[in-house]
Amino acid sequence: MSQSVMQLKNVSKTIKNKQIIKGLDFEIYSGEVFGFLGPNGAGKTTTIRMMVGLMDMTNGDVLIQGNSVNKDFKKAIRHVGGIVENPEMYPFMSGRKNLLHYSRMIPGITEERIQEVIRLVGLENRIKDKVGKYSLGMRQRLGIAQALLHKPTILILDEPTNGLDPAGIREVRAYIRRLAAEEGVAVIVSSHILSEMEMMCDRIGIIKNGELISIQSVEDALQQTDTKEVSVEASPIDRAQEFLKQKVDSPVQLDSNTVTFNSTREQIPGIISGLVNEGIDIYSVNVNRSTLEDKFLDLIGENSIE
Amino acid sequence: MNNFIQLVRNEQMKLYSQIATWIMLIILGVLVIGFGVLMKVDNTMISGEGPTGENWKQELQEQNTQLKEEQQGPPDPGEEREQIQYPSYTDIEMNEYRIQNDIKPSGYDVWDFLQTNRSLISIISLFTIIVAAGMIANEFKWGTIKLLLIRPISRTKILLSKYVSVLLFAGTMLLCLYALSFIVGAALFGIDSISQTYLFRQAGEIQEASIFQHTVSMYLLSSVNLLLMATFAFMISAVFRNSSLAIGVAIFLMMAGNSIVLFLMEREWAKYILFANTDLTMYLEGNPMFNEQTAGFSIAVLFVYYIIFVILAWVFFTKRDVASN
Repeated sequence: MSQSVMQLKNVSKTIKNKQIIKGLDFEIYSGEVFGFLGPNGAGKTTTIRMMVGLMDMTNGDVLIQGNSVNKDFKKAIRHVGGIVENPEMYPFMSGRKNLLHYSRMIPGITEERIQEVIRLVGLENRIKDKVGKYSLGMRQRLGIAQALLHKPTILILDEPTNGLDPAGIREVRAYIRRLAAEEGVAVIVSSHILSEMEMMCDRIGIIKNGELISIQSVEDALQQTDTKEVSVEASPIDRAQEFLKQKVDSPVQLDSNTVTFNSTREQIPGIISGLVNEGIDIYSVNVNRSTLEDKFLDLIGENSIE
Repeated sequence: MNNFIQLVRNEQMKLYSQIATWIMLIILGVLVIGFGVLMKVDNTMISGEGPTGENWKQELQEQNTQLKEEQQGPPDPGEEREQIQYPSYTDIEMNEYRIQNDIKPSGYDVWDFLQTNRSLISIISLFTIIVAAGMIANEFKWGTIKLLLIRPISRTKILLSKYVSVLLFAGTMLLCLYALSFIVGAALFGIDSISQTYLFRQAGEIQEASIFQHTVSMYLLSSVNLLLMATFAFMISAVFRNSSLAIGVAIFLMMAGNSIVLFLMEREWAKYILFANTDLTMYLEGNPMFNEQTAGFSIAVLFVYYIIFVILAWVFFTKRDVASN
């Protein structure tokens, strides 16, 4: 098991007699991407704000590399880099000046490190431009750059792909995975979009109405459900349907040139090679992963406003 | 400490990266040069002209005689009245003091221009209030406060660096005003003498001072109001996190301050009102508003207000959650 870098201990927050966060208790390990998932208003951002000391906790504590955020804020926060909500920068200054600004706030950040970070996020060509002229994607990159300046061991990104175009989302995702894998950084991302989390995270913690209702590893979740819905695009399609009806015990549906059936993961290779041996041409095979989403919705139900 | 200097550098960098800051400096410059040129062109605006010729003593003597005659009663209607020659030299005692102590009046020169431009400190107050009001509120508006506070630096230190930055801005503006007024004044009106003796009345007594020392102390004393109002705006900015509110309230109080005091003049506690004490120049030149006021009393009152503003700003900035808007 990797080393634990952050521990939440019975973290609660009460605002005006209303308990918004109810005793969160979990750990984050180095080198993992931890997804913080929940519908809007479930308490994701509040929790993140408490992790970084922007909000006080009513109860409990957060330990970062063993340092309490409540009692030893400066020591604890030194290990953390982050973006809380949108990557907001000073629009009237250049990207470089923005980075210079944040680099002055933590001792030991050299000019070389600033250059390195700029290269890392690929902003070399536009770094002298005013941030006001940046696109949202570029601001997001600059946000990540400022979070990485002091080589944190924990990176907290609140809704990191919010407002990005598909290419941007893919880039951020790849970047986060690389940081976790190569630098051993623990990355905490929050989102309300499940499919995004599935692709990015190792573990997902699901929060609902301020309560952590489940933590699960993405791999497990995918393997737990044994039967999967499989769609095969093949030709000639009627012979494929015939073959499958004999092979599989679930109903086989035909939809123009695609057949859909249920099977276990282990069965899939056998079925495909069977089809090939029959001389049927296969154009595509899709395993429908909507099962995780179903599971998520089961867990969350409706996020009723209390 | 080193760390703190870096924070102040950051604040200064942010301040001077904004066009608004430069516009303020330019407005100040334009006002100083504009005043100078206007006064040069239109001589009637200059009232400081005195008898500066060889026989100035005699001329002052004549002026005094004339003033005394006038005091003795209104001249007969219809009788042609001789014009007072030197409108600024209407203080008989002061004129006599000059004659006795051989202090020659000087023409309108750079020092008088400096004294005139002291009124521009209220413009600097206005600008400083705007800067102070934005210091904290703007970080909230831009959302950058979140990135600012998740660094290994205490909130107290961040607040202090911002406050110091406001003071630096005010200091810079004052220095610019003094230096530019000196340059413009010297260029347009010349320097009569570097070490003039300035005469003024302090609580009825005639006092002498070196002109340089006197102008500097008048500038500094006039800045006390600025300091208090800027601190007030800074406090509102920290408490309500809203720059418009801070600017509005601070400017309103700055403008209405004297009227408030006049309105409440009769009350026993009126002398404890902030604005009854902010004008410390009244102890150097002129008279205090209330009889029982002394410089020490005013300084004590100002100090108490100042501490209250600072504590309020500190408590709200360091203790309150940074929540979503």
